[in-house]
Amino acid sequence: MISPSQHRWADVIHRLEAGGSMLPDSPNNLKQIIGIYKAYAVPMDFYWRDLLYIAEQVFLNPLPAFKYLLPQEYLDRPNSYAGPAGSPRIWRGEASAHPELLAFMAKGEMGAMPRLLHHLWHDRINMEFAEACMQAMFWHQGMGGRFNDYLDSEPYRANADRAIKAYFRRNPLMLGLYKLWPEMMLEKVKQLSYYANLGLFWEVMAPVFFEMSDLYDEGKLTSVPEAMDFLVNGIFAIAGRPIYHNVMIEGECFEIVPKSEGFTWLYEAALPYVEAVFYRTSPFRGTKSYNAQANQVPDQQADFHYGILYADLFPVGSAGIPPTLLMQDMVHFLPPYLKEDYSQHGRGESDVLIQLGVSFQRSMYNVTSAVIQALRAALLYPLDDTNPDHLKANRQFFEAQMDRFLRPEARLGEIQTAHYR
Amino acid sequence: MMTVLLLLIPGAAALLALVLPLLPARPGLIRSVAAVAPAIQLMAALLCWRHLPADLHLDWVPKLGLAVDLGLDGLSLPLVLLAALISGMAILSASADQPRSRLFFSLLLATNLGAIGAFMARNALLFVLAFELVLIPTTLLVAIWGGERRAGAAIRFLLYGAASGLSLLAAVLALGWFNANGLDFSYEALAHAELSPAQSRWILALLLLGFGLKLPIAPLHGWQPLTYAEAPIPVVMVLSGVVSKLGAYGLLRFGVGMLGDSWLAWSPWIAAAGALSAIYGALNAIAQTDIRRLMAYSSLGHMGLLVLALAAATPMGLQGAMAQILAHGLIVALLFGCVGLIERKTGTSSIAELSGLMNPLRGLPFTSGMLLLALMAAAGIPGLVGFPAELLVFEGSWQAFPLPTLVCLVASGLTAVYAVRLYNRVGFGRLDNARAHWPTTHWGERVPLLLLTALVVVAGLWPTAITGWSEPTTAAMALRAPLSASSVISQTVLPS
Repeated sequence: MISPSQHRWADVIHRLEAGGSMLPDSPNNLKQIIGIYKAYAVPMDFYWRDLLYIAEQVFLNPLPAFKYLLPQEYLDRPNSYAGPAGSPRIWRGEASAHPELLAFMAKGEMGAMPRLLHHLWHDRINMEFAEACMQAMFWHQGMGGRFNDYLDSEPYRANADRAIKAYFRRNPLMLGLYKLWPEMMLEKVKQLSYYANLGLFWEVMAPVFFEMSDLYDEGKLTSVPEAMDFLVNGIFAIAGRPIYHNVMIEGECFEIVPKSEGFTWLYEAALPYVEAVFYRTSPFRGTKSYNAQANQVPDQQADFHYGILYADLFPVGSAGIPPTLLMQDMVHFLPPYLKEDYSQHGRGESDVLIQLGVSFQRSMYNVTSAVIQALRAALLYPLDDTNPDHLKANRQFFEAQMDRFLRPEARLGEIQTAHYR
Repeated sequence: MMTVLLLLIPGAAALLALVLPLLPARPGLIRSVAAVAPAIQLMAALLCWRHLPADLHLDWVPKLGLAVDLGLDGLSLPLVLLAALISGMAILSASADQPRSRLFFSLLLATNLGAIGAFMARNALLFVLAFELVLIPTTLLVAIWGGERRAGAAIRFLLYGAASGLSLLAAVLALGWFNANGLDFSYEALAHAELSPAQSRWILALLLLGFGLKLPIAPLHGWQPLTYAEAPIPVVMVLSGVVSKLGAYGLLRFGVGMLGDSWLAWSPWIAAAGALSAIYGALNAIAQTDIRRLMAYSSLGHMGLLVLALAAATPMGLQGAMAQILAHGLIVALLFGCVGLIERKTGTSSIAELSGLMNPLRGLPFTSGMLLLALMAAAGIPGLVGFPAELLVFEGSWQAFPLPTLVCLVASGLTAVYAVRLYNRVGFGRLDNARAHWPTTHWGERVPLLLLTALVVVAGLWPTAITGWSEPTTAAMALRAPLSASSVISQTVLPS
């Protein structure tokens, strides 16, 4: 119908036009991405709960030393998209925290001991990666949608002001500070609104990944495009769910970003997340230091390249770096078939974190493919449209998306090959 | 008996390695058999440390003054120990699937035989024979198992080696022939040879050329960078850790020990040559883009320090020279052992192509950790063996040659520059995703590095371990008395 693309990633574009994913379809790729979805979903089940706990309960605590020690209330909090009451019920499992997550939190690697010792020993689910993603969303801004603009609006400032004054009503020192530097507190509340935003985004993604893993185990997901389609369908099913930020202060609920504002999951959380974390990315602490005097700080925020798709895998293994901590979180929940696969490649158990990181890159390319296909479906034309002009419009859209992966750091070329591990 | 045993062991093992075709062709087995010989040699030499064995004397060609005179003293015993140790480590550092392993290990053991023979010889002609014996197997090792440019490297090594041997032979023959006391090449006779000052200086010039080529020092080092870059790593370990020490030992034994007056007369020039070599080696090391060549120039620089200490010929200077011989032998073997392992795993020793080796998961953290320690030892960091050796060199040379010592101090400081530069590029930074699929090191490969590292640390913390053996001998050989503080002040400050 239309001539072949001349783009650098023409093969990938043709695959997308045929309804495929940026990730080539192969049994091994499918095994890697589904295994990783499952291993990612378990810590993600903790991430979204803790993000909401921080946004709703910890709030402006000036010494939030225990913000990662999730109270039982939040572990029991039902996921809106799992369990019998889920609406829609994405995962057929239970709505409370995942059993493997609870088992790990009880014992960790070190065995049974007080929770604080587990925490101090980093024998826990690490929230650093989740917070790094939140910071990327908060930092880049201008990623479409209305959410970020709303944070500068008068209604938002009024809502935040009420919550700040209520939270510090018995703390004249903090109230005095707020009086002197109101923007400081407001900026912090904006960040907390992004905690809520990301928490609500991942509340959806965790059951999606659990369900994909279950379907794979049942033999009902047999190809990479099927996995991508499941994500696309999930995106459309959830697209209209609300994004909001409530704060609980002494039993009273303060609506900082009310549901009535009509912020929805797809446009105010999913797309900004993909744009900030996948496309634009940001330097993780410890992965890169920019020398301002040597003009090493890029002029464009888009030039930072230490996010997910642009992740440099080899900082993995260095202490305290968010991707390392994410890999360490995931390694506890690998399905047996993926452990077996890793033991047969590279250095086996010794470099499992890096092999896991490569699989994670692959799996996130599949998620990104789903987002691209979903956007195409929402904004443009079906893939089987017979109108050449429509197909050209689709082509231009795909090529524009692929332009964002031209930099070698994106490693789109590497994931096209099986030996990239 | 023990002296003979020390020589027989490598000889027998070299032959055994050659006749092992009778056994299944398993390079690992041949390597193990070959490694046993230096291990026994090391233990025998350690036994000799407690009770020096009696000298052995057998006439060989009396008309020529050639005799099998073998013995051990405070100079030769530490070097025998060093040679046995480094030979063993070199054999263990060889690949388990070393091609043509019988011949390879046999030649390595033959090199050991020559070096030990030279260190134990008490007859100058026998020393020359042993010295020349080393050249044959080492040239073959470079020529057969070397890198892409092995032919050029082997030819250059052979030419420089032959020049060194000829120069040495001429010097030894002249020593014997011009000796007014008759034709006798035993060390004892040569030490008391009656030579005219002119004869003595000519002979010293030949010795300096012969041993300077072997050490080497600038500008006689033309063979070294190429050979170190092309030879197999076990061979480089032996060349740098043992064979080059023949040159240092020869200068000490013949130059300082037998031609004292001429040595003293020329010592300012020798010290200047040492300082020049030290600074030249260090500056060149900074500019290198390949780890092997960097190590070659680093070695050149450290040999400069050694020559400075020999030139000073004070008790502490000579003690420092011996310490530097042993310390450098250990450090350079460890350095090349690390480089060999890096090269085996990554396929390159190019600094530009390596980075992030400290990465704990996909890098070579153990090997790069050992490399860091070896570089620190080379840079003279306290607590490691390089520090006491360099301290003794500088302390021993300062009073006699303050300016060359200062130059050498600067050169020693530059060691830290190229060490940091190298490690910053190779150890840190990030791994290249496309390349970093290297196998990890296994314990069999780590053992030589661990043993050498242990010695580098222990000798750093307990310096008398490397200086105690030779102290009485070097003190007796000293040509200059240590100057008192008051005499130093009067010489340097007060007008004459």
